[in-house]
Amino acid sequence: MLVASAQPDQLQNQTQENGESAAVSEKPCIIIRNLDFFYNDRQALRNVTMTLPERKVTGIIGPSGCGKSTLLRVLNRMYDLYPNQRATGQVIMDGENIIGPDVDVSLLRRRIGMVFQKPTPFPMSIYDNVAFGVRLHERLSRAEMDERVEWALTSAALWDEVKDVIRSPATSLSGGQQQRLCIARTIAVHPEVILLDEPTSALDPISTLRIEELIDELKRNFTIAIVTHNLQQAARIADQVAFFFMGELVEIGPSAQIFTAPKERRTQEYITGRFG
Amino acid sequence: MDQAIPKRRSGALGDALFRVAAFSAALLVLVLLGAIAISTLIGGYPTFAHFGFGFLSKAVWDPVRREFGALVPIYGTLVTALIALVLAVPVAFGIAVFLTEVAPRRLAVPTSAAIELLAGIPSIIYGMWGLFVFAPFMANTLDPWLSDTLGMVPGLAPLFSGPPLGLGMLTAGIILSIMIVPFIAAVMRDVFRLVPPALRESAFALGATRWEVVWHVALPYTRTAVWGAIFLGLGRALGETMAVTFVLGNSHDFNISLLAPSTSIAATIANEFTEADSPAYLSALIALGFILFVITFLVLLLAKLLLLRLAKQGAR
Repeated sequence: MLVASAQPDQLQNQTQENGESAAVSEKPCIIIRNLDFFYNDRQALRNVTMTLPERKVTGIIGPSGCGKSTLLRVLNRMYDLYPNQRATGQVIMDGENIIGPDVDVSLLRRRIGMVFQKPTPFPMSIYDNVAFGVRLHERLSRAEMDERVEWALTSAALWDEVKDVIRSPATSLSGGQQQRLCIARTIAVHPEVILLDEPTSALDPISTLRIEELIDELKRNFTIAIVTHNLQQAARIADQVAFFFMGELVEIGPSAQIFTAPKERRTQEYITGRFG
Repeated sequence: MDQAIPKRRSGALGDALFRVAAFSAALLVLVLLGAIAISTLIGGYPTFAHFGFGFLSKAVWDPVRREFGALVPIYGTLVTALIALVLAVPVAFGIAVFLTEVAPRRLAVPTSAAIELLAGIPSIIYGMWGLFVFAPFMANTLDPWLSDTLGMVPGLAPLFSGPPLGLGMLTAGIILSIMIVPFIAAVMRDVFRLVPPALRESAFALGATRWEVVWHVALPYTRTAVWGAIFLGLGRALGETMAVTFVLGNSHDFNISLLAPSTSIAATIANEFTEADSPAYLSALIALGFILFVITFLVLLLAKLLLLRLAKQGAR
C-alpha cells in the first residue's frame, strides 16, 4: 500500500478542522456525526463526520470499495432492506436522527431521492415512471398529475424529447434519456436531497455532459450528493469534495482546494492518479 | 496451418450433424402431437359423426342405450380447473412474495423445500387424502356453511345449493388448487428473484413499501413469466385425473351447483375405459379425449396470444 499509516484519531481531528475552516455554505442540510457502518462484521465506514450544505453539490470521490456508495445508502436508509447491514452514529436532518429506529423510511426516502449507476426505468410508460413516486405519496387530479409530470421532465431536460411519446414504454428510450428519466422520477416527488450514485458511469460523453449540466441546474433547488469515479466530473460540478479511503473520510473541502491544494498526502496521491 | 483446415471441416460436419439431430428432436414433438391428435380424432370419429354437435351440448351419458353427450364432463373439467386457478393463484403469489421479499433466509430455505416436496406428492395420495379426510370435512363443515351463507345470496344461490355430499366440483377444485399451488409458486418465486436489485431499490428509493414494489414493479417486470406459470397450472388442472376421480363424485347428471357431484373428461375416461364394452362406448371415450386435447390446446394458444400482446406493450 502506498499510503503512509496515520493515527485514526489524529486524522479525524484534522478532518473536522478542515470541514470547519473550509465551510462551503452557511446552512447545513444533513449533518453526519461519527457514522460507522457494517456489512455483517466488516466495517465499511469508520467514524465519518461531515455535512452536506444546503443547495450545494457534494462530490464524493475515492477508490472502489472505499465506502462512497455505502455513505449514500445510509442517507436514504437503503441498507434497511438487508438484514445484515447496520449503521451507528448520527445523521441529522432537520434536528432528527434519520438513522434512528423511529423514522418512517418511506417518508424519509421521499425527502432524500436517489439515482443509481445504471438507468432503472420501471416496466411501464414514460409518464407512469414519473408519476409512480408521486402516486405513492400524493392524491393528485389528472390535470395536476399531468402538470407535475411535465414539470419533472422539463426539470430533467427531457420533456422536449419525450412529450410526443409519453405513453411509450420507458425502455424504448436511449440510455442517457433513461437516466434523465430516472432523475425526473426522483425530483417528481419534491425531495430535498438527491443522491446520485455514479449516475454517468454507464453513459456516453454527450449524455454525461447533459447530466452534468442538469445537476448544475438542479442545485438551485436541491441539495445534491454525487458519488463519482471521474475526478474531472467532481471538479466540474461539485462545490465541496469529500475524499474517502478504506471507509474513512480522509479529507473534505471546497472542490478547488481539494484538487489544487489538498492537505492530506493520500488525497494528493489519489487525485494525481498514483493509486485508486 | 495445413492441419487447421481438416480440423475445421470435421467441425463443420459435426455442426451439420448436430443441426440434423436438433431438428429431428424438434420434429419428433410435432409428429407426436399430430399423431395423438389424429388417432384420437379417428377413434372418436364414429361418435362425432353420429351425434354431431349434440355430443358437446347434450348432458346425456347412457352407455346402455348408447346415448352419449359430453356436456357434463366438459363443464366439470372447466369448472374444477377454474376453481383451482382462482384459489391457487393468490396463494401462490403470496408464497412467492413471502419467499422473495419477506422471509428471512433461515425461514425461506425450508419453506422453499416444503413447496417442492408438495409438488412431488403423487396425485393418488391427494386423491386418497381428499376422499378420506377432506371430503368428510367438506360434507360436515364447509358445504353446509356455504349453503347457509353464499347459498342465500340471490344470484349465487344456484351455485351453492344441494345436499352437502362432500364430493363435488368444489372439493375437486380445492384439491386441484393444492396440487397446482407449488408449480405456480415455484415459477413465480424464480422469476421474482430475477428482478434486478437496482430496479427494486429504485422503487424503494422513491418511498415505495415492499407491497408496492412487488405489485407495481416486480409483477409488471415479470408478468410474461407469471402468466406462463398460471397457464402451466391451468394446463395441469385440466388434465389431472387421479385426484379428481376420487373426489368429484363421477356423476353424469348435470347440476350447476359447485357442491354437486360431477365428472371431468379425464375422470370419465379413467373410470369407464374398462367398462367400455361396445365400440360406440369406446369411441365416445376417445372422442372425449380428443375434446380434452382441443381444450388444452386452446388454453395454450390463448396463453401465447396473451403473451404476444403483452410483449407488444413492452413488457419483459
